[in-house]
Amino acid sequence: MGIFASALRLPRLAAAIGLAVTLAAPARAQDTIKVGLVAALSGQSAKSGEAITRGLQVAIDEINAKGGVLGRTFELVRRDDESNPAKGLLAARELVQKEKVVAFFGGIDTPVSLAVVPFANSSKVPFIAVWAAGTGITRNGAEENYVFRVSAVDELVDEAMIDFAVKIHGTKKPGLMLINNPWGESNEAGLKKAAGAKGLPVAGAEKFDNADVDMVPQLTRLKEAGADTLFLVANVQPAAQVVKSLDRMGWNVPVVSHWGPAGGRFIELGGPSAEKVDMVQTYSFSGKLSPKGEQVLAALKAKYPEIKTLADVTPAVGIANAYDAMNLLALAIAKAGTTDGPALRKAFYEIGPYVGLIKTYETPFSVGNNDALGKGDYIFTHFKGAEIVPVGQ
Amino acid sequence: MRALLPALAILVLAGAATGLALAGESYTAFVIALVALTALVGIGLNILLGLTGQVSLGHVGFYAIGAYVSGILLLKGAGFPLALAAAAVAAGAVGFLLALPALRVRGPYLAMVTIAFAFIVEHGLIEWRAVTGGANGLMGILPPPVMGLMLAEREMAVLCVALATLALLGFLALAESRLGRAMLAVRDSEVAAQSVGLNPVVLKTLAFVLSAALAGLAGAVFAPLMMFISPGSFPFSQSILFLFAVVVGGAGTVFGPVVGALVVVGLPELLADFAEYRLLLFGGLLLAVLWLAPRGIVGEVARRLVRRRPRPVRADAGAAMLAPQGAPLPLEVRDLAIAFGGIKASNGVSFTARPGAVTSLIGPNGAGKTTVLNMIGGFYRPDAGAVRLDRDLAGAPAYKVARAGIARTYQTTQLFGSLSVIDNVRIALKGDPAQAEALLAFVGYGGDLDAPADDLAHVDRRLVEIARALAMRPRVLLLDEPAAGLMRADKDRLALLLRRIADAGLAVLLVEHDMALVMGISDHVVVLDAGRVIAAGAPAEVRADPAVIAAYLGGDTGRGRPRAAAWDGSRDAVLTTVGLTAGYGAAPVLNGVGLDVRPGEAVALLGANGAGKSTAMRALSGLLRPVAGEVVLADAPIGALPAHVIARMGLALVPEGRQVFPELSVRDNLMLGAHSRGKAARGKAGAAEVAADFEALLTRFPRLRERLSQRAGLLSGGEQQMLAVARGLMARPKILLLDEPSLGLAPAIIGELFDILAELRDEGVTLLLVDQMAALALTVADRAYVLEQGRVVKAGAAADLAGDAELEAAYLGAKAGGA
Amino acid sequence: MLILSAIVSGLSLGSMYGLIALGFHTTYTVSYAVNFAQGSCVMLGAVLGYTFWVTLGLPLPLAIAATLAACALAGLVVERALVRPFTARGSSAWLMATVAGGIVLDNAVMFTFGKEPRAFPSLLARTPVDLFGAGVYPLQLVIPVVGVAIALGLHVLLRHTARGKALLAVVQNPTAASLMGIDVKRVVALAFAASAVLAGIAGLLIAPLLAVSSDMGLMFGIKAFAVAILGGMGSASGIMLAGFAYGLVEALVTSMLGSSYTQILVFLAVIAALALAPDGLFGRAAVKKV
Repeated sequence: MGIFASALRLPRLAAAIGLAVTLAAPARAQDTIKVGLVAALSGQSAKSGEAITRGLQVAIDEINAKGGVLGRTFELVRRDDESNPAKGLLAARELVQKEKVVAFFGGIDTPVSLAVVPFANSSKVPFIAVWAAGTGITRNGAEENYVFRVSAVDELVDEAMIDFAVKIHGTKKPGLMLINNPWGESNEAGLKKAAGAKGLPVAGAEKFDNADVDMVPQLTRLKEAGADTLFLVANVQPAAQVVKSLDRMGWNVPVVSHWGPAGGRFIELGGPSAEKVDMVQTYSFSGKLSPKGEQVLAALKAKYPEIKTLADVTPAVGIANAYDAMNLLALAIAKAGTTDGPALRKAFYEIGPYVGLIKTYETPFSVGNNDALGKGDYIFTHFKGAEIVPVGQ
Repeated sequence: MRALLPALAILVLAGAATGLALAGESYTAFVIALVALTALVGIGLNILLGLTGQVSLGHVGFYAIGAYVSGILLLKGAGFPLALAAAAVAAGAVGFLLALPALRVRGPYLAMVTIAFAFIVEHGLIEWRAVTGGANGLMGILPPPVMGLMLAEREMAVLCVALATLALLGFLALAESRLGRAMLAVRDSEVAAQSVGLNPVVLKTLAFVLSAALAGLAGAVFAPLMMFISPGSFPFSQSILFLFAVVVGGAGTVFGPVVGALVVVGLPELLADFAEYRLLLFGGLLLAVLWLAPRGIVGEVARRLVRRRPRPVRADAGAAMLAPQGAPLPLEVRDLAIAFGGIKASNGVSFTARPGAVTSLIGPNGAGKTTVLNMIGGFYRPDAGAVRLDRDLAGAPAYKVARAGIARTYQTTQLFGSLSVIDNVRIALKGDPAQAEALLAFVGYGGDLDAPADDLAHVDRRLVEIARALAMRPRVLLLDEPAAGLMRADKDRLALLLRRIADAGLAVLLVEHDMALVMGISDHVVVLDAGRVIAAGAPAEVRADPAVIAAYLGGDTGRGRPRAAAWDGSRDAVLTTVGLTAGYGAAPVLNGVGLDVRPGEAVALLGANGAGKSTAMRALSGLLRPVAGEVVLADAPIGALPAHVIARMGLALVPEGRQVFPELSVRDNLMLGAHSRGKAARGKAGAAEVAADFEALLTRFPRLRERLSQRAGLLSGGEQQMLAVARGLMARPKILLLDEPSLGLAPAIIGELFDILAELRDEGVTLLLVDQMAALALTVADRAYVLEQGRVVKAGAAADLAGDAELEAAYLGAKAGGA
Repeated sequence: MLILSAIVSGLSLGSMYGLIALGFHTTYTVSYAVNFAQGSCVMLGAVLGYTFWVTLGLPLPLAIAATLAACALAGLVVERALVRPFTARGSSAWLMATVAGGIVLDNAVMFTFGKEPRAFPSLLARTPVDLFGAGVYPLQLVIPVVGVAIALGLHVLLRHTARGKALLAVVQNPTAASLMGIDVKRVVALAFAASAVLAGIAGLLIAPLLAVSSDMGLMFGIKAFAVAILGGMGSASGIMLAGFAYGLVEALVTSMLGSSYTQILVFLAVIAALALAPDGLFGRAAVKKV
């Protein structure tokens, strides 16, 4: 019985695998320019991968509608890195060597991007980070640096956060509340450095995990150490838990946050007190938009029907960074007149100005500075209901 | 040549992988490198899981330790060979440390220890920032040139393949070696492994260390291959993937981890284009593989393809026994005592088993015979007393006792089921492996040498177990009921064998129920009752000792009461079987049995041990499936139905060994008896009926009323038997089956029990009774069937059979001889 | 005040660990197998509760009933598809199969429910109340009470109903139980359903404190497994105690040393405890027989 049953089942598995392989290789036109994405598409950070995908896709659709570049259209090839550096490196290799992408984008996780950097430089294929903010990604010490970024840089964000807090809240003793992951770790270093530069003594650095429900102990220790402003580095869910824990303690203290909370339904998760948190942003779709902003928002709504309100266009930074990065890449290819890596790298330094979503890029990149966004491009915002508005509005 | 085939296959595979790595794109080389590294970890895990049967969900921890040790050393400028060696040693050392707590626990507890280990490593790497670089990891780990050769992807891939090949060849050599077989032996039966002198703790620890070291080695190559490592490179899910690789490939098979590595690394690559749907599909496909190939892919393929040709014991092998190690010595047992939860299972037991003689330990069930054997063998630590051979061995662990020259066999044979017959013997053998075949010939085993022990017939299992014990070249041989379940002819051959073993100068210590066998071959008989020695001496003396007759054989004089007037009821049977054939494995225990029981009738099923009585009860009640032939209960065929359905149809079995629910109260046990009434017990009328029956039973069994709210496990044996019978009656069955109700009970209790059975019979309850005490059973029964070797050889009225000389000779004769 | 807050958190989480761990206990005692996707069942409880109540707007009691019914169904499917095919062959590949099932379930929910964590609204988790100077949500006080009540309810159900006793009978002696007319396979299936329902209840209770997302279950599953092992797989009361102990130790270590070392210390404690008591802190060793 067992043998017969299995014999009957075997072809079914074969069919399933066959199906998988066929689906995996849809017919592709020969003349497209392939660009890759290595990002977390599943698991905890899946939302970030989705946002980057949307930003890239809307930009690609736009460019393709205008006839593409060099007479060829773009095609996006995506790979899931599962937030695992090893998987990310493997995916990057596959994209470059098998799919022959001309350039590829990175996702939210700094360690994954760090793992990919040496490979990008040695294979001479541009790698553009659109989210991960780890300083070492672009400042990697390579002689010929193929890594570019259209996103925040942790060290610069940390300086901006401290500057902002001193100016607005008169901060004298910062207390750090950091998620226990690579992102929190790199900002711990950056914030301490930035505070040190201003001569501010740090009250303490406390860590918490993604699934923690009670941050009262960590906050109490900071309070007892005399912290007068909290610096928060965490994604939306744990950041909301920090706000709720502050509520439970009845501690009313200014909170200056990295951009994490903007990536989700912060008010829904954290309650009304979450409105008091000031966040760094590179972009927000709220408020009065530039014509470019209106255009991209309309395109997003048209392409992704599940986007109904502004609360659904999250995380805005992922979408905006990716959108601008894709456009900058297209400009570089047009400038280089080829998709050849070394020529493309040189072309990156020659493009501009470009009127983007986040800002108008005069010379987005220059030799020695592969970061398109700087300290001056960060805006401080907070939630007002479901919308994100600049501080002061 | 045959032995070289797998090694050749490994080399061909390695050659192909190397060729592919050198010819393809560097991406291909990279994937091959990852497959090889996963295979390397898998091979290590296979030593642990496949050979010793221990599961680990923490291997990513060892992988990470290896990667960090090598990464840090390489960053500090150390040479590659040093980095590899240091990583393997470090991981192996941590494996040793983890084995200390891990091997104290088993099953899910072991899984938890290894899970905890993986998390500790992951968080340790994050927190020990000064050394590990914290959550953001270590960057720029480059493989240093080896002998002037730069190691790029392709060279690294070749290195990975080379390491995996070496590991695979090593695994092959290990699996074929004495050490590998010893590990398998531990996996199959730790108890038996100890009795052939193996120390399971040492073997399992060794497997753990080897396994960890291989994972560490793989990690050591992983670091420079990736050039970047961070805690995120070693998520807990990776541990599960490693285990997947071994299970999906086939645990214990040589190529399993390789095939598994191909699946867990290759499949996601095939699915890469599914982007966010990849994990979903991957999970689904893994499930599909598990469903299709539960033994793993390699295991399943091997099962289908490999046809083994049997290799019987050669006629010219020569039947020889090995001389015992050292000079013959008596086994002296002095004042051995042990208590379990306040009950003295053994109390001051002393006797001597002389070399060259058969010493038998007899006594009623529960007298403490096996307990004494377990204390001698080192499985129980005696509370007091001495076990002297050349020194006092009391309290020594089993493997030390075995090494000191005391070998044993078990009540239920403990062979290494997955090992072949010849390997079972070889494992215990030091010296010439050819002696194994001679030993098997000596004990009279004539079957296939390469058959897995699990596939053997019962009698062969006994013989192989004895051969294995003899391979230890023991001075003392302990045998625990070796004749149980054997047929007469086999028992006679066994008796001859034991005699020859004793004649070779061994002290043979026998625990056995078969009195004919015991009285026939023993030089000295020691009688135990309730943990004490009540008599000892030559067979004839013991047989005449009134204390022995009262304690041990007194049951025969029970006071079953025949029916006043002969039974005369309906001829339409409640229960009928036609050609009932059933068994375990290949050989049927029951062969074409036909019997019927009519309403209100009491029928006995008689026969010697192993005749198939209990098997018949299990087949009738549905506990044994499948069965061939017809079984009809009240006009409904039940031969294919499961036990619970048959129970609901009105057949209640009071099982052998009583099997009350020990943690439940007497009341709950009784009420569970009514469970099979189903709907009939519900509603007001049903509940009232149940309550009335409950009350009636308590009146019949007044002792149960006294103990109504006590836990059943605390009752005495007799009370438990009463409870089991009452529980059966609570079902209001159409027919009540009783399997060995008198087993292990004191004579007075047996009398009481059979009085109750007679009462039930007189009140019209239909009974089918199996009991070793045939004479007693016949006093209660109206009719009886006699089974011999699974067939009905005689049937008739109880009164006629009781006086039948032929029956006495065939069955009661053995008992009568004993009395 | 700091300690008090930690104790309240520890007790409420601990009772949930205990409840989820009781699910492991329930299936292990009848089948010697556990559902390693138990964490996913916790997630399922929260996600379905959110979907039925918030998204579909069912009345709360109906939403809870529908959620738990769906969890029970999930438990039945797990038993039938991921456990029985393997235990029936004497294979322990159910371990792998349930893990794979968890991966499939988590990812399937990610695509249907969405990738964003959502807040599970609850009146009991909106305004903190003052408890001796520590602010706690009323829900945090309710959870341990509900947890213990459910554990006690389960105990009563087992000890004092015919069905419960049938289950106990299977635990103690499946062969004898089948002779009583008890369908052992059905009891095992029901145990898996009950196990998933316990996880679902925990998911519903915990969701307002945390957030609802497709990946919320994993750590709950692992911690609950640790609790079940620590308590001793065979001891229900031991498991509830171990749950509270685990929750308290976790919260106290976090509050005194910071959360960096919590996982390291707690898991080291697990290993140490098992090294000292190989059958769990409250488990009983079986007498070995040969």
